[in-house]
Amino acid sequence: MKIRPVEDLDLEDIAAIDEKIGGTYRPDVWERRIVYYIRRDPEVSLVAEIDGSVVGFLLGEVRSGEFGLEEPTGWVEVLGVDPDHRGQSIGRRLAEEMWQRFRSRGAKTVRTMVDEGMPQVSGFFRALGFEPAPVTSLALHLDR
Amino acid sequence: MSTTTTRLPNRFHSAVESWRERFLPDYQFLIDNWEKYFPKDERFELVAHRECGMCGIIECGEEEGKPKYTKACDMKPQQASHLLGAVKAQASTEFGSIQQHQLTLARAQSEQDQFWVLRMMAEELRHGYQMLHLLLEDDWSNVSDQSGEEMVEEILQMRTGSHTLGAFNIDFDSFVDNIVFCALIDRVGKYQLTMQKVSAYQPMAESMPQMLREEAFHLATGVVPMRRWAEESAKGEPFVTMEILQKHINKWLPRGVEMFGDERGGGTNVRYGLKPMKNGEAQSDYYDECDKVVRDLNLRYIRARDEKLDHKAAREVLRRMTEGGETVDGVGRPEDLISTPDKRFFRRRGMHAWELVGADGETFEDVEEYIRHLVRNLPEQYTAGRDFKGYIDLLRKVHAGELDGGAASREMPNLRHVGGVCPCSKSVRWVQEDANGSVAV
Ligand SMILES: CC(C)(COP(=O)(O)OP(=O)(O)OC[C@H]1O[C@@H](n2cnc3c(N)ncnc32)[C@H](O)[C@@H]1OP(=O)(O)O)[C@@H](O)C(=O)NCCC(=O)NCCS
Ligand SMILES: [Fe+2]
Ligand SMILES: [Fe+2]
Repeated sequence: MKIRPVEDLDLEDIAAIDEKIGGTYRPDVWERRIVYYIRRDPEVSLVAEIDGSVVGFLLGEVRSGEFGLEEPTGWVEVLGVDPDHRGQSIGRRLAEEMWQRFRSRGAKTVRTMVDEGMPQVSGFFRALGFEPAPVTSLALHLDR
Repeated sequence: MSTTTTRLPNRFHSAVESWRERFLPDYQFLIDNWEKYFPKDERFELVAHRECGMCGIIECGEEEGKPKYTKACDMKPQQASHLLGAVKAQASTEFGSIQQHQLTLARAQSEQDQFWVLRMMAEELRHGYQMLHLLLEDDWSNVSDQSGEEMVEEILQMRTGSHTLGAFNIDFDSFVDNIVFCALIDRVGKYQLTMQKVSAYQPMAESMPQMLREEAFHLATGVVPMRRWAEESAKGEPFVTMEILQKHINKWLPRGVEMFGDERGGGTNVRYGLKPMKNGEAQSDYYDECDKVVRDLNLRYIRARDEKLDHKAAREVLRRMTEGGETVDGVGRPEDLISTPDKRFFRRRGMHAWELVGADGETFEDVEEYIRHLVRNLPEQYTAGRDFKGYIDLLRKVHAGELDGGAASREMPNLRHVGGVCPCSKSVRWVQEDANGSVAV
């Protein structure tokens, strides 16, 4: 398995993994997202490749000043591993490589936000050592 | 990862700014509207970036394992002169590509596409600035009679039409050129920059990482609109159809392939530790990447034609159409898709220069028949232009036995000395291209 930075050539493959996970083909959504990360810092967002095919991706970046957190913080925002390749430490290897790159950009903390209704994702992050952090997510429903 | 940031001495910085006012007049518009398109991104800044903490040991060639050079005067004269050629060529193409993009920038149908291209142009300006920084920071007097100041002046005086590097002399005819150029010609740039990242000359190596980060966005600036156009074309929109995309790929890909230099060359750069790959190897990887872009455009097209197909089914349909030549119900005929032109198609330099090979690899006996094939497969505005005319004149001479292929290849650039977009432009020789060829955008 090879871990490498995401690039324009991965757009279709990532849209295909997302489709396998969620059932909908949304190429435009992925173009927008991936180009955002490519523009911000194309070296920290990663894909995992087996025999030349993309089987997983992890998108994130280092930002400061979010939610009053002034120090550079690594934010992991989007991830997906091909359902046919789960449980082979692909997610873990992507994450470890990303932390390395976050560190080299001065980040001391990695943060993410997980919908507790997605136990799979929160289970994954907990297995990687994430703990609940004292920033509470609040929401106001404008349509109610 | 950390970088140091430098500004050129004031008079050079101002010279680049004056150049910008003339050739990138929308720069202020970009800055004024930055927040709208790139709300979280740092504002663009005209500075040179040098990466810190890179490998200080020569990574390939005869001097592998020795410390990298920090001064050109410590290098062998031959090696330094090779390097100087590469820096000047690089600088010229960065500035040159802005002049090309400016020709048709205003014709974009989508404001976002236009804004992305505009940002890319500003970044090309920074890349040119970065190369001027290399020319001015060091002393090149052992390999050049020109002072740093003269070199900068020469570069900033050049105009479209005076480059000797193929792709940079071809006028853009529509916004499709802006986009396809980003997807295919900037991709050559990615290869060159990646290779120069290991340069035995440390200032060159340290200049590459930030340029490469920016280059990744340039490729997306090309690929994303092409993907959207493929989908729109599938849905019957009359704007940029698959046929138009195909013709523009045919126009630019051969030029991209040639930017790697002769497929048999490149050994000198490797020996001198300036690049880790020979021309042929890099060119072949590049071609495969372009092929992947084309394949994914076809998938996007197929999926928009028949929305019931999932990814796996769409791949199977693509295989049936391209390998089996089948017409597929609800999707279309094989010729509705696009394909990567054969590596030998429409070449004027390198191993396959002047061969009569068609887009699908078919060979022609008769020059005139080949010319008709080219006309059918290239954009109309392009075949009406001077680059195509220059190529055809030479092709006819080569096949009439009046000129040998090598001489014809060398003659192509000389045609550029006439004309240019600006009537008062001086016909300056832009860059020297040799068998090791090639630079990045
Ligand atoms: C979460 C996900 C990335 C895990 O990928 P993976 O490659 O299978 O994970 P790994 O094999 O690297 O597992 C790493 C660790 O996480 C744990 N883990 C993985 N999935 C888990 C789950 N569903 N529940 C609990 N723990 C889990 C593993 O046990 C492993 O722990 P260990 O290393 O201590 O043994 C993958 O399941 C996925 O893509 N899910 C869908 C994500 C999604 O919905 N994305 C769209 C919204 S952004
Ligand atoms: Fe560039
Ligand atoms: Fe570029």
